[in-house]
Amino acid sequence: MSSILTGDLWLHLFEMLCVIIVVAYFITRTKAFITVHEGKGSVTDYGVLILIFGALSIYGTMSGFAILGAPVNIRDLGPLVAGITCGPVVGGVAGIIGAVYRLSLGGFTAIPCTIATSISGFAGGAIYLLHKRQMISVRWAVLFAALFECFHLILVLCINSDMDTAVSIVSQVAGPLVFFNALGMGIFAKIAENRIEEVRTRGERDRYKSELDRKRAELKIAKEIQQQFLPKDIPPITGYDLATFSLPAWEIGGDFYDIIPFGNQKHGLIIADVSGKSIPAALFMALSKITVRSTAVWHPGTAETLRDANDIIANESDSGMFVTVFYGILDRMGERMVYTNAGHNPPLVYRRKTDSFEYLRQNGMALGVMTGTGYEQDEVTLHPGDIVVFYTDGVTEAINRNEEQFGLERLTSVVSASRDMTSYQIIRQIEEEMSGFCKDEPQFDDITIMVLKAKGDD
Amino acid sequence: MKIEKEGKDGAVVVRIAGRIDTTGSSEVSDAIKEIIESGEKKIVVNFSQVEYISSSGLRVFISALKQLKNTGGSLILCDLKPFVYEVFDLAGFTRIFVICDTVEEALKA
Repeated sequence: MSSILTGDLWLHLFEMLCVIIVVAYFITRTKAFITVHEGKGSVTDYGVLILIFGALSIYGTMSGFAILGAPVNIRDLGPLVAGITCGPVVGGVAGIIGAVYRLSLGGFTAIPCTIATSISGFAGGAIYLLHKRQMISVRWAVLFAALFECFHLILVLCINSDMDTAVSIVSQVAGPLVFFNALGMGIFAKIAENRIEEVRTRGERDRYKSELDRKRAELKIAKEIQQQFLPKDIPPITGYDLATFSLPAWEIGGDFYDIIPFGNQKHGLIIADVSGKSIPAALFMALSKITVRSTAVWHPGTAETLRDANDIIANESDSGMFVTVFYGILDRMGERMVYTNAGHNPPLVYRRKTDSFEYLRQNGMALGVMTGTGYEQDEVTLHPGDIVVFYTDGVTEAINRNEEQFGLERLTSVVSASRDMTSYQIIRQIEEEMSGFCKDEPQFDDITIMVLKAKGDD
Repeated sequence: MKIEKEGKDGAVVVRIAGRIDTTGSSEVSDAIKEIIESGEKKIVVNFSQVEYISSSGLRVFISALKQLKNTGGSLILCDLKPFVYEVFDLAGFTRIFVICDTVEEALKA
């Protein structure tokens, strides 16, 4: 084709393409384009688009040029684009505007060209409707424009006063006419497609964000409710110094602790860890906490309490969820603690006198697995200066960047080093040591620590 | 994580290699679920290549044990490394699982 295109023609074509790009960009940026495309446009939106696409059709006629004396133009382009992006109303009326202008110019092909342009917008609109009010892909849009121009040429061959002239015109303009309209459609459709995609993505993002905001707000409320499950303040226990610390890995978690004053100088101490994290763990935690607290009031011993709590929880749980619970009852009179460890991490007992550690190992299974399992009760005597550290595995299994675990050894050495401090200070020391070890590594599991120090007579 | 299944003496032997942490657990869970749903009654889990198990891993085996018991089946664990055994023991689960030293022993059990 280059042989028939002179320098002037190239310049002319370039100018035409520039106009298409600018107009395409301008139209697709209007609010009207998006609202009409989505089928939500107002009358004004339709009006504005009809005028712009109609004007583009008139420009298509005016910018037409002759190749070897035959007129080539992109008059149909505006209505075709309007049809496939904004539907039959915008496309159709824009086409009629372009057609009326073409008719007013007269000439040999006036009638077939007028008919073709009148139909063009409706044809595009039909495609829009057939494609469920979505724009077809750029490739199909280009094919559609090319086929429509072929149809335009067939109309010229069918409706004319002199067949020889018609054949001669069609044979000369067919190639350039189809090519330039298809090219214009390719440019326009690509720009429109980008814009529609951009709006769609933004809509999805906004929806996702509002859903996220809602979930965040719900989690915040859940967190507040869960905080209320934990003892608000620690009752003073004669002869002992007790402090607690709890930090869920997410907003809400599965760890909990409880301090139950029984009267007669007796206090129940509970620390527990539900398998799993976040919402499922928090729900199971609520069930477990209330169950253990209620059964504790009914039984003087720890084993019967956890046996009954287990039967209740296991009956409610089919999911394989379980909760490890350490339950001890402090008796001031004998400076002793009776306890049942239902599968919980063995609490450490630091012996001041020998500077050594003992462990309160499990004597029963984690709660919630199956009903009818037996629990034992053991007893530990606490002497002045002895320290009991109750904790959940979030402490010892906290990892640093190299995936090394904080471990039991680090925990025992902090406790041994801070043996002369108060329970509260010991917890601060453990926290400090952990954050120094983990640095920026995100916390993976809930962390709960309870430190009990036997003060002796004071 | 690698999971291999093999039918042997009327049981399915599941060989797990790797760490049964939160991600590993869901893989193991899917594999065991598939075996139970296919109607197998006896599952033997070979732990010889398991380095680590988390509490979410324990949950998978508890859940499988419950399901199999309900349908009259059995779940036998074998060849546990000391660390893995300790995790089961700490939670008190060695009381409810049948744990054998070797696969051969488990198949006879």
